[in-house]
Amino acid sequence: MTGRIAFVALLACACARPSSGQTGAIEVVQSAGVSNELIAGAGVQLRGLFQPTERFRVYLEAAWGDRSGTGSDVFGTAYPYGGRVDAVENYGELTVQTKGLRFLKAGRYRTPFGLANASDHAYVGFLRPPLIRYGGYFALSSGYLEEGADFVAGAPHLSAEFSLGRSADVGTARRRPGALNKVGRIEGSLGPIIVGASVLRTMPDQPAYFAFGRATFRGVDARWMQAGVQIRGEWIDAVPFEGTTTKGGYLDAIVHTRVMGPVTALARAEKLDYDTPVAAYRLFTHRYVAATRIRIWKGLSTSLGVSHQGGRLTQHRPTTFDAGVSWALRKDFASGQ
Amino acid sequence: MPARLNSAVRYVVACLACATVASSLSVGAATPGDLQGVVRVAGRTAKEVVVWLDAPAAPPSPGRVTATLDQRNMQFVPRVLAVRVGTQVKMPNSDRLLHNVFSFHDGKVFDLGLYPVGTSRVVRFDKAGLSRIYCNIHPTMGAYVVSVDSPYFAVSDTQGRFAIPLVPDGTYTYHVWRSGAEPTSGTLIAAAGRAVEIELP
Repeated sequence: MTGRIAFVALLACACARPSSGQTGAIEVVQSAGVSNELIAGAGVQLRGLFQPTERFRVYLEAAWGDRSGTGSDVFGTAYPYGGRVDAVENYGELTVQTKGLRFLKAGRYRTPFGLANASDHAYVGFLRPPLIRYGGYFALSSGYLEEGADFVAGAPHLSAEFSLGRSADVGTARRRPGALNKVGRIEGSLGPIIVGASVLRTMPDQPAYFAFGRATFRGVDARWMQAGVQIRGEWIDAVPFEGTTTKGGYLDAIVHTRVMGPVTALARAEKLDYDTPVAAYRLFTHRYVAATRIRIWKGLSTSLGVSHQGGRLTQHRPTTFDAGVSWALRKDFASGQ
Repeated sequence: MPARLNSAVRYVVACLACATVASSLSVGAATPGDLQGVVRVAGRTAKEVVVWLDAPAAPPSPGRVTATLDQRNMQFVPRVLAVRVGTQVKMPNSDRLLHNVFSFHDGKVFDLGLYPVGTSRVVRFDKAGLSRIYCNIHPTMGAYVVSVDSPYFAVSDTQGRFAIPLVPDGTYTYHVWRSGAEPTSGTLIAAAGRAVEIELP
């Protein structure tokens, strides 16, 4: 509710200054996939991007997804697969020109922690989320959403972000209601390197009879890209609830050079260490992923991935083969120009 | 009438006379004006069509010429950009997420990597041709940059209209490019006050 009130207030402020040209777009992304874990999944994401004025944007997103089985994180990258329609991100964003403050956002948006954007997690080709980004592993779920207000201050090469809101999560890992969530982030860049550090203080997503206290996540992330090669990664050190810790991270190499044409190659190495006083519930695992994304025609692409994981996970098989196809359509429109 | 005022009036009258004579002498000479026209494909007006005129004797552009290909709301704006060879195209990231802008096909080859929100990169299009611009992260993002070796070019708007500024009167070979079709050529006559119509099959 807090986010919705703030969203309407922001919309009213922005619309007070009409623009000569309004732009917008509707985007639909359909995807389907299958894994040798005998799980198939399909999903649709519908997005609306509207810019009623030069400095104000509205982003609306809904998603539907379903899969034939559970017990695996396949197709769990950034969208819920619960067999129902979920409102995902819905916010208004004002670009503020005054010194220091740059963006003010209100509504429902992804928790701005680390590499948080959907296009990071749902990067076509990665059919599984990072271990540290899957709620089922006592980690920070990529389905976490905040309903509140967020602002970014600073310059393009060094900025700070702060968010205050309530949980509005999608997917299976949904944080308990309680005190307001606080997220802080600093991001800086130097040449081709972009680095960031984030902190999240929130409620646990496990039930109250099991998880006491509050959850705290701290993380660092970095990206570097040159000549078609991107190296990126995150490391998160968390207390998912009182008496437990989750530590882990991932390192991605994404290669797309001219000689590769429509093919993008992906590799990921990652680890997860969940520690609890009860030895039987400890989880230490690592996973290696090799994948490819092939752009077939315009918005149509296919993804193939193989992953091997050690340790104890909820997966059915230690080595998995995943395949997916994705089709994105977009319609832009403009008026008043 | 005071002498000073009298000489001023005579000066103004002389200037007006000179301007009238100069104006009469210029009748029939090439006077640059906007060449306006409409592009139709199969009888329907067509947007985002690039039209340019051959002008081998045209002087080079004075100073540095720039254009902008923005990244906004997960799309390139404009989707079709025409520039003269040598133009430096700014590619700002006006979104709130990262893009990976690249062009690997014919035309200008580059990969700008990732750069922060609110910053920009510049690419100089130093030879004529078509460059297809994509983002490797967002598959629906795509744009075309048509680099032409001529100062006379334009892109048609949503009603198929285009206007090429400062075209001297004369007969020209024109070229037309649109997405998904082979470039075509023809001849047109540019004259003051005359609109041209380009019909494509």
